[in-house]
Amino acid sequence: MLASNIGLGMEMVARMRKVFSRWAKLLLISMGCLLLLSLAGCKANLLGMLNPKGLITYEERKLFFNTLALMLIVVLPVIVMSFTFVYHYQVSHRIKDYKPNWSHSFFLESLWWGIPCAIIVVLAVLTWFRTHKLDPYNRISAQSQTDPLLVQVIALPWKWLFIYPKQDIATINYLAIPVDQEVEYWITTDNVPMSAFFIPQLGSQIYTMAGMRTRLHLLANETGTYEGLNTQFNGEGFSDMHFAVQVLDSATLEHWFSDIKKSPNHLTEAAYGELLNPSIGNEPQFFSGIASDLFQKVIDTYMNSSGAVHPRQDFHHPVPSKEAS
Amino acid sequence: MLIHLLFGNLTLEAIPFHTPIIMGAALFMALFTFAVLLLITITGNWSYIWHEWVCSVDHKKIGIMYLLLSVLMFLRGFSDVVLMRTQQAIAAGSSLGYLPPEHYDQIFSAHGVIMIFFVVMPMMFALLNMAVPLQIGARDVAYPYLNSLSFWLTFVGAMLCNVSLVIGDFAAAGWLAYPPLSELYYSPTVGVDYYVWSLQIAGVGTLLAGINFIATIIKMRCKGMTLMKMPIFVWSALCAMILVVLAFPVLTVTLALLELDRMFGMHFFTDFAGGNSMMYINLIWVWGHPEVYILILPAFGVFSEVVATFSQKKLFGYTTMVWALAVITFLSFVVWLHHFFTMGAGADVNAFFGIATMVIAIPTGVKVFNWLFTMYKGRIILTTPMLWVTAFFTTFAIGGMTGVMMAVPPVDFQVHNSLFLVAHFHNVIIGGVLFGYFAGIIYWFPKAFGFRLNEKWGIWSFIFWVLGFYLAFMPLYVIGLSGFMRRTNHYPDLVYQPYLIAAALGAGLIFIGMVLQIIQVAVSIKNRKALRDHSGDPWNGRTLEWSVASPAPLYNFAVLPTVRERDQFWADKKEQAKGAIHPLDLHYQPIHMPKNTPAGFIIAIFSGIAGFALIWHMLIPGIVGFLGILSTVIAKSFSTDTDYYIDADTIRKTELAHIKELG
Repeated sequence: MLASNIGLGMEMVARMRKVFSRWAKLLLISMGCLLLLSLAGCKANLLGMLNPKGLITYEERKLFFNTLALMLIVVLPVIVMSFTFVYHYQVSHRIKDYKPNWSHSFFLESLWWGIPCAIIVVLAVLTWFRTHKLDPYNRISAQSQTDPLLVQVIALPWKWLFIYPKQDIATINYLAIPVDQEVEYWITTDNVPMSAFFIPQLGSQIYTMAGMRTRLHLLANETGTYEGLNTQFNGEGFSDMHFAVQVLDSATLEHWFSDIKKSPNHLTEAAYGELLNPSIGNEPQFFSGIASDLFQKVIDTYMNSSGAVHPRQDFHHPVPSKEAS
Repeated sequence: MLIHLLFGNLTLEAIPFHTPIIMGAALFMALFTFAVLLLITITGNWSYIWHEWVCSVDHKKIGIMYLLLSVLMFLRGFSDVVLMRTQQAIAAGSSLGYLPPEHYDQIFSAHGVIMIFFVVMPMMFALLNMAVPLQIGARDVAYPYLNSLSFWLTFVGAMLCNVSLVIGDFAAAGWLAYPPLSELYYSPTVGVDYYVWSLQIAGVGTLLAGINFIATIIKMRCKGMTLMKMPIFVWSALCAMILVVLAFPVLTVTLALLELDRMFGMHFFTDFAGGNSMMYINLIWVWGHPEVYILILPAFGVFSEVVATFSQKKLFGYTTMVWALAVITFLSFVVWLHHFFTMGAGADVNAFFGIATMVIAIPTGVKVFNWLFTMYKGRIILTTPMLWVTAFFTTFAIGGMTGVMMAVPPVDFQVHNSLFLVAHFHNVIIGGVLFGYFAGIIYWFPKAFGFRLNEKWGIWSFIFWVLGFYLAFMPLYVIGLSGFMRRTNHYPDLVYQPYLIAAALGAGLIFIGMVLQIIQVAVSIKNRKALRDHSGDPWNGRTLEWSVASPAPLYNFAVLPTVRERDQFWADKKEQAKGAIHPLDLHYQPIHMPKNTPAGFIIAIFSGIAGFALIWHMLIPGIVGFLGILSTVIAKSFSTDTDYYIDADTIRKTELAHIKELG
């Protein structure tokens, strides 16, 4: 019976090899093409964390590749060993060195408890310190001596509202921030499920939740226009919840502030009520004169609500008819 | 009034007559069901189907039914894949694709739910039912009737999920239905209710199956099989079932609380009036993280069996394997927070859960090295199960690596919710779980059906699956890093499109792989005489399941085996040359067996009625459903006609037939 099984095995292996040599080539070629495609794509238009424009993303990318390198210490040998062992020890190769009962080696087993442990210890230490250093709630101590610019962010039904409380201006789906100056974001949500605020090239993402304030510190190091978006699925308008991030030098930004201040649109409570209506793919809007304490009032609306009726019941959800996006 | 009591909120408007895709799918399902029913009627097999399958409490048949359910739902889940991948490949730049968000959102939600709950979970229970009782030398599971109930509850859960396609809609809130999106205010339709009740019903089935297998493994091992002599697959099953018993009640309670919010206006997880949606996210992952280990541990068990068998060598480091399983089981409960580092918990909390997550990589790595060194100095026969294992090593290593990378909170701040994450968990669930289950199914197929699967078609399906997998998911890693988010319906930036087209082509290759698998089964059925497993031991196996005929007789073991070492059957085969007791000289005794019962099926059907009634707020059908469940349980508990004996003569005849076939 054993012999017949081995015979069966060898026959299969021979057939396999024929099939494989052809397919292995094809596999290699297609993987190579894919890699080239990726590289070509990267070179032409690197996006997201692969092309950092802010200190935090830069640090996170570094950490990403450090972790990758640490993991490869184990992963590469595993991949190499798996192929060589499977190839080398096939029945058909009639390797003499067959030890059917060899199933324990204190040394070897210590080795592969030990080495991964050592790697994870290194990684754990790295994680502990990096997590604390890159905690989005912390000030970014490096470089700037000046106070951070405060921006209050409210995720609305499928658009973003940015309030600059000190400048007394606000924008929809458009964020202008200074280069080389820290920006502190206070973030919440109104009349839309939990979302997440994210500017990939500048730094970390963080959830936005109703009745709560999350915080984020980011620092942009290069002027330019970047993409910001919502990463947490929150209903029909999710895919269109993008916003433009404009990083400007401080003089230009001051100029922009004073420009917006002249805007005839005021963000009164009534105007804010308009914004609570679901809409998709809004063009940027600009407001001056913000209803006092608007951000805190939005949080309080949820914190202090009671009963069975949603505080925003009047603003129907989900949107019955869609605007073109 | 009566109409409302009968039909609740259900009206004809709930059926989307105006949507051709859905109506087409519904028509297809209806025709398929009709064709199957017609076939049964024409061939006059109703009585056979009812008595031998629907009412069966035989673990081997229940295993096969789990497998069938899994395959059917796989086709449904994969049709979602086709829709999603084509949508994302098309919808670039100014194009919005062909699926509006309200459909697309249901599709990705259904895809996750179906693949996890109704494809992979049933496939796992199929393997457990096919192998565990035989491997421990038992005649059935501890509670055969409960086993039947578990299956039918899972089945009804899956059917309820399918009904949502035609009547009403399915949840459009992602596969875990995070509130507040899944709350009544943001999701006023019945979609989330379908989600909740199909998972509740299937979840009860899973929990009962978990209890059943723990009892089976603890109490029904044959003589001499101490815990440390159990086959490693049984160990992995035990660990997975412990996770089921600890984790599934959390899911049940969490979904119940969500449903209380939706039905009775309570505020457990709402975003107003004191509700706390963060609590739901914590709770669902307290279940959800162990859940992925529930899936992967039996796959690890399969790899251990397959590698040892086809390397014709003892499993390397059995003791460390068991400890690794135990450590993973424990750790899987202390890492759930890594699913939401971005919620704004402090650095201490995030770092703790990040590090705890990385620690899991250690026992997992140990297992991988033990498998590698099982092959080392072995004699490897490259059959299809072994091929799947070979593909597993690389694929799982990559998936594990990206998993550890995402366990570093600041890295997760960049890749959370992106396609990098999607690529990661498909990498481990396809490359780890599914490859393992495929290996297990091909490995135990002869034991369940009596003939091997065709190898040639198996190799071709393997090639397409693996190529397809890499083509479908490697591009997702790249665009995930460049800020492309999961669940995106359309995107303005054309840079992403080539990658998503590649991913769609990859899904196409996987589809070809699936078709080839179906052909493989069909060809094997056609040639079942040539592929017949006469010996009951087609792979030169090591454990007890190979010591009996294929398919195993109703009573599994004519004489309960005694075990002295781990690979008892392997040792027996060596000893037989020296002369052991010949099966002909054995003394057979009557065997005590459980009788088949329709109770499990009936209870499950009433549960389905109750679930459907709860979804649509139908009072009368709801009461009928609950009373039906209750009265069936009571009636069944009064029945004393639950068992019988197979007489010694029948057993002798069956065994002699097997010996004759052995030649």
